[in-house]
Amino acid sequence: MKKFTVLIGLFFVLSAGSGLAAQTTPDETLFREAKLLVFDKSWEDALIKLDDLRENFPDSPFAGQALFYKGECLSGIGGREREALRAYKDYIRLTDAKASLIEESEGSIIDLAFGLYEKGDASALRDIEGRLGHENKVVRYYAAYKLSLVQDKKVAAKAAPVLMRIVETEKDPELLDRARIALLRVSPESLKSVEDRKPTPGSPRMLKIRVWNKGQKEPAFSLNIPWALADLALGAMDEEDKAAIRKKGYDLNKIMNELAKSKESILRIVGDDGSIIEIWIE
Amino acid sequence: MNKCALNRDDWAAFLSGDLEEGERRTMAEHLEKCPDCRAAADEMRRVLEKTEAVKAEIRQAVASVNWEALPATVADRAFAASRKPERALPAARPWGWLSALWMKPALAGLAAGLVVGAATMYFVLKVPGPRSGQDTGYYASGDFLDRAELTMARRNTLDYLEKSQYVLLDVFESAGEGAAGPAVFNSEQARDLLSRKKYLNAQLERFQMAKAKAICDQIEMLFLELAQISGDLPAAELGRIRGFVEERQLLLKINLVKKELQSEI
Repeated sequence: MKKFTVLIGLFFVLSAGSGLAAQTTPDETLFREAKLLVFDKSWEDALIKLDDLRENFPDSPFAGQALFYKGECLSGIGGREREALRAYKDYIRLTDAKASLIEESEGSIIDLAFGLYEKGDASALRDIEGRLGHENKVVRYYAAYKLSLVQDKKVAAKAAPVLMRIVETEKDPELLDRARIALLRVSPESLKSVEDRKPTPGSPRMLKIRVWNKGQKEPAFSLNIPWALADLALGAMDEEDKAAIRKKGYDLNKIMNELAKSKESILRIVGDDGSIIEIWIE
Repeated sequence: MNKCALNRDDWAAFLSGDLEEGERRTMAEHLEKCPDCRAAADEMRRVLEKTEAVKAEIRQAVASVNWEALPATVADRAFAASRKPERALPAARPWGWLSALWMKPALAGLAAGLVVGAATMYFVLKVPGPRSGQDTGYYASGDFLDRAELTMARRNTLDYLEKSQYVLLDVFESAGEGAAGPAVFNSEQARDLLSRKKYLNAQLERFQMAKAKAICDQIEMLFLELAQISGDLPAAELGRIRGFVEERQLLLKINLVKKELQSEI
């Protein structure tokens, strides 16, 4: 019955968008109109309808969900982050809150808290730190990722245990790469210890790149990263360096494959301007 | 032995083979004739042989020291020690061997020399070089990590758009004309895409990828609706979703943003 109601709901949301008329109760109509406005990012108008729904139909089955969408609107408007936080937190506390919307609310709380921190409210980070131990791993992982972006390295390092766990246990390459980069930011030594623990017999472990400008003893660019991030590292290389390599007729992907096979070899490229690029694998 | 006019400072150099040929010959000839000096030289040779063995241990110990953190550690310990109440010395002191050196200035000097020498050697070896075996830690500049994240944002957005497209097309295909049964929508797929979108939000905003963000936001709202539904969807309902997506030209917008991202990767 519940599923049927939702389906009917979706039908009317979409039928309203395609101009079809249908008979609905006033609270349903309000809710669907509000959701269409949310879809189009007409935050203010959507908010008016959602408030209208909650005020005039407090017992409506849509009143709860309206709280979630209210949070969306308040986040979108800007400058009302604290109200948005309250709306999401209120939604999560509802007994009939939906799992998918709870997950979304948790993510939005983390985003809003981070935004408040960036505006100077350091106490807002409590909402992120508190979610590092969340039972839902989607929430836990996201909290760790966001915390790793905090400027204060001491605080950011609190994300390390969760990030290490991701590198240790997760299979999803997208998540793994994010966790590795986040760990490189906050605690490279933690990344090293977790990568060293992984059994990878015979395969390369570390990619090293150095770039020297002409006549300089110290490299202008140094990089030591896990081999797993090699592909990303090449993508992120400076355009000028990439151009210097291409100009010499080298195919970077081929080079990396060859280096990975031989392990011992070092690629050394001298640019026309006298700069030197060295790439090798250990 | 004291009667000999030879410079005893040269003995260590002689024993370690560092003397010039002429001096070495003179020293060797003298030692053959002078039993006192020979005995003293033998004793010194034995001491030097023992220190060779100790040298390796000292180098190993020195190499295990975190030199960057050492000043802080020493300071911490000094402060901690100053806070501790004085205690009576235990009967057997592990540093008891120091008293032997105290009693023998020559040995103390030798040991100090070895420590300083080993430490100097360590610093010489520790100079970072491009292929130094000790350069084993990970590091990357903040600027590089930002660029890596931008590359990742482009790839992941492209991946998100492609997957979203597949999900939507899959649903629409199954709701097309002549479809035998109700369309199946996998709400788990929608939830997975929603969780990916969280990470994209931060990146798309940070790297000012406004167009990509707008289309991803619209898809997100659609999936937010669909994620709340599971199981079979009647064809008529799916037809209406398709109508909605077509009206907003969502698939066309996805393709356009995909093309842009592909050209940037």
